[in-house]
Amino acid sequence: MVSSVSVIGKRIRKVDGREMVTGEAKFSGDYIFPGMVYGTVKRAGVPAGRIKSIDVTPANAVPGVVDVLVAADIPGPNLIGILPPLDQPVLASDEIRYAGESVALVVAESAEAARRGAQAVAVEIEAYEPILTVDAALAPDARKIHETGNVTFSKKLRKGEVESAFERADILVEGDYETSFQEHAYLEPETVCAVPGRRFTLYASCQSPFHIRGHVAANLGVPASSVKVIQANTGGSFGGKDDVATEIGALACIAAQRLNRPVMIAHERKESIVGSNLRHAARIHIKTGALKDGRIIAREVRVLLDGGAYASESPFVTMKTLIHAAGPYNIENVSVESTSIYTNKTYCGAFRGFGVPQVTFASESQIDELAEKLGLDPLEIRRINGLRAGDPNATGQIYEQSVGLLETIEEIAKRPEPAGRKDDDRHVHGTGYAAVAQGISNGAEGIDVTGASVQMSQDGSVLVGIGLTELGQGSRTVYALIAAEVLGVDVDSVSVRSVDTDAVHDSGPTVASRSTTVGGMAVHKAASEVKKSLVSMAALMMKTEGENIELRDGFAVLRTDESARIPIASVATAAYWTGFPLMNLAFSKAPEANFDDETHQGDVYIAYNYGTHRMDVRVDTLTGEVTVLNHLAAHDVGRVINPLGLEGQVEGASLMGFGLAHMERIQYVDGIIQNANFADYAVPSIKDRLPTATITVEDPNPTGPFGAKGAGEPPVAATAAVFANAVADAVGVRFTRLPITREDILDALKRGNHD
Amino acid sequence: MVIRFTCNGRAVQVEAEPEARVIDVLRDGLRLTGTKEGCGRGECGACTVLLDGKPVNACLLLAGKIVDRDVVTIEGIAGEDGSLHPIQEAFLDTGAVQCGFCTPGMILSAKALLDEIDTPGVAEVEEALAGNLCRCTGYGKVVDAVLAASRRMAPGADRGGE
Repeated sequence: MVSSVSVIGKRIRKVDGREMVTGEAKFSGDYIFPGMVYGTVKRAGVPAGRIKSIDVTPANAVPGVVDVLVAADIPGPNLIGILPPLDQPVLASDEIRYAGESVALVVAESAEAARRGAQAVAVEIEAYEPILTVDAALAPDARKIHETGNVTFSKKLRKGEVESAFERADILVEGDYETSFQEHAYLEPETVCAVPGRRFTLYASCQSPFHIRGHVAANLGVPASSVKVIQANTGGSFGGKDDVATEIGALACIAAQRLNRPVMIAHERKESIVGSNLRHAARIHIKTGALKDGRIIAREVRVLLDGGAYASESPFVTMKTLIHAAGPYNIENVSVESTSIYTNKTYCGAFRGFGVPQVTFASESQIDELAEKLGLDPLEIRRINGLRAGDPNATGQIYEQSVGLLETIEEIAKRPEPAGRKDDDRHVHGTGYAAVAQGISNGAEGIDVTGASVQMSQDGSVLVGIGLTELGQGSRTVYALIAAEVLGVDVDSVSVRSVDTDAVHDSGPTVASRSTTVGGMAVHKAASEVKKSLVSMAALMMKTEGENIELRDGFAVLRTDESARIPIASVATAAYWTGFPLMNLAFSKAPEANFDDETHQGDVYIAYNYGTHRMDVRVDTLTGEVTVLNHLAAHDVGRVINPLGLEGQVEGASLMGFGLAHMERIQYVDGIIQNANFADYAVPSIKDRLPTATITVEDPNPTGPFGAKGAGEPPVAATAAVFANAVADAVGVRFTRLPITREDILDALKRGNHD
Repeated sequence: MVIRFTCNGRAVQVEAEPEARVIDVLRDGLRLTGTKEGCGRGECGACTVLLDGKPVNACLLLAGKIVDRDVVTIEGIAGEDGSLHPIQEAFLDTGAVQCGFCTPGMILSAKALLDEIDTPGVAEVEEALAGNLCRCTGYGKVVDAVLAASRRMAPGADRGGE
């Protein structure tokens, strides 16, 4: 798309990093306003039942408590969610559907007093027998968790005829796989701060401020224009700060309205685990049919997702599993059915990877099982079946460009074997491979529009505004790089606004690895319009045509005589006085998904990120301990905008996938989460880090800026899958359930020794 | 009671109960909000501060324990002129900062290590930062940052930025 670039692809420091290393960065909990009070939610504590009564008198008697809210105090419809019909109350009024459900808000002069107040609220609940498994939920006589029943969402994908293809297959492999609930575990628990006034101002640790504004306003019973949401620095999100930020955002605003005082609600760690969404647990059945030469001719997949008490993003996660379940392969006959189910557990929703890690683990496990049966090398079977440009994928979508899967396979194949992996009496070694494709941006999940503004001041400095949020992933740096590249200025002269719903355009949700691709495209377009003014002005000043002008290194340069150059600041000043616009608001609208709702055949995503991972492990057969010796993560990212940021995304997402595969499991007993803290729910520490080497393939994506496509999610899926395959290779036992903990490995080894 | 202690090189006094948590004394009493609360149970390290040079979890430390002692928070790391400490520079250069919430605690744990050992090995870095959780980076760049900082802080090294 662009032949030569000056800043794109350079290792650039995070443009907003300085305030984070000095402690100046303001997160939601760092705001303080005169007269501020603090809110704490009272939670049901039982997973299912009906509220008989709520007595707030004991809470009001607690010193420092100034107000207690129950459902009846919510002016609006008391509903939040993602897709209509919304099914989640802000505060439960009648039915209790999970133990972490909010039933009241206690507001007090201090956070401590609010907590004591919340403990004092007396809630009488007639307990129901909780529905704790998808099987129980699907039983014919099961109690209905919602009026609509216990199926949240169910979809089918049909391509070709799997049944007849299975009959033609030389080899069939069939199996069941399971994955567990996973917690986002961002370091900053959810926090909001509402300031009342003629309009409400909500400072929020959140992912999608415009979504929150709409729901908060609705529940306040005011127009959206009466609420402005300012995204504070957000200490990680990974999909986890949408639903819950709407819930506590609405509560904080309602309390602020009643008291006419600023209200802060900051979750404690335990609340962050039990009271906000998790990654769906999944049960996946796959059947694969192949010919002797290794070609896969049919795949049939059934996905059952445990979505917990409310729909949240379940419908979209369900669709994403449907589309990705067959893997990054060219398979003529595919049949998938994905269903999400309500249970009386913490609701599940968006979490980095969005269903793809679950199905990729299952799919890639079975690809290895198939390779073994066929006597094929694991890379070879992926090479034979992997999608190439021009191949139809599972939805029948064909990309003529930017399908770099095979290149990622070859990048992995050409790397040498790591040294020093010799088995001894106690240690065994193994190598695993996994391939992944992950759809970029909303695609089938919704219309995809982003608005971005770029403006240049007379001094040549640039301000970018966009409604997509920085959550740590480095999107501000990406936008600054794109604007700097287009306008020929230094990255340091570009600032990217914080998201304030009054100051930037609605850009849809910050999800689905869309920031760089769709957001970056809007910034590129807006910057290109500003560039036109600068080029026209410079052409006037140099008495030439615009086509002879180039913007670079802070100057407008005459192409034919590079010594003829004018500082961009001077051009900008002249443009201003001449009346050439130096600000532009541009929109990037991805082509709309166009597919058949019954079969899911059609064009779904604007692009896919493709990847192949390799992992080498050593397993201690006495302890079950796994040491990862080598982890190669090759991804086709279209075009690298900032290698430093990209590596950070790949390494961080990989470790998250490793946590899913090896360490993390939410433990329920009778519908109550038992390990809602970091001592018992172990997220990877620095000692668990992976030796991840990021390898990039750049097969330019025509729908992204400079050819880029998103990369923040796919390594989660690939790492979860590659870990399972590496451990299976080392131990000689196929594990079909994630996480594969040290204890699981030890058990399998013990069983194996008795065989 | 009045809690007197040294904070970031300056004598300070704060009105607080002796059983108040130091994290609250710092954040609410002194408005030093760079010290972050991630779990309130000493399990994540986001609230790490230095007490007489040693890293401690400010969420578990009681105000009575810091009387007449020396506390350093993230706000006390950079130079008076705003120049960043070599550890801060290294965290930015290596890409060890993503969301930034764990960063203050990470930097202070790293400082305690580097004040003790000039050129730590990887195992020593791991040990020193084992109590600081990060969910964004995968930690590889954090290790790189601490090792890079140790090289910059070595006697005679160029202490400059990028």
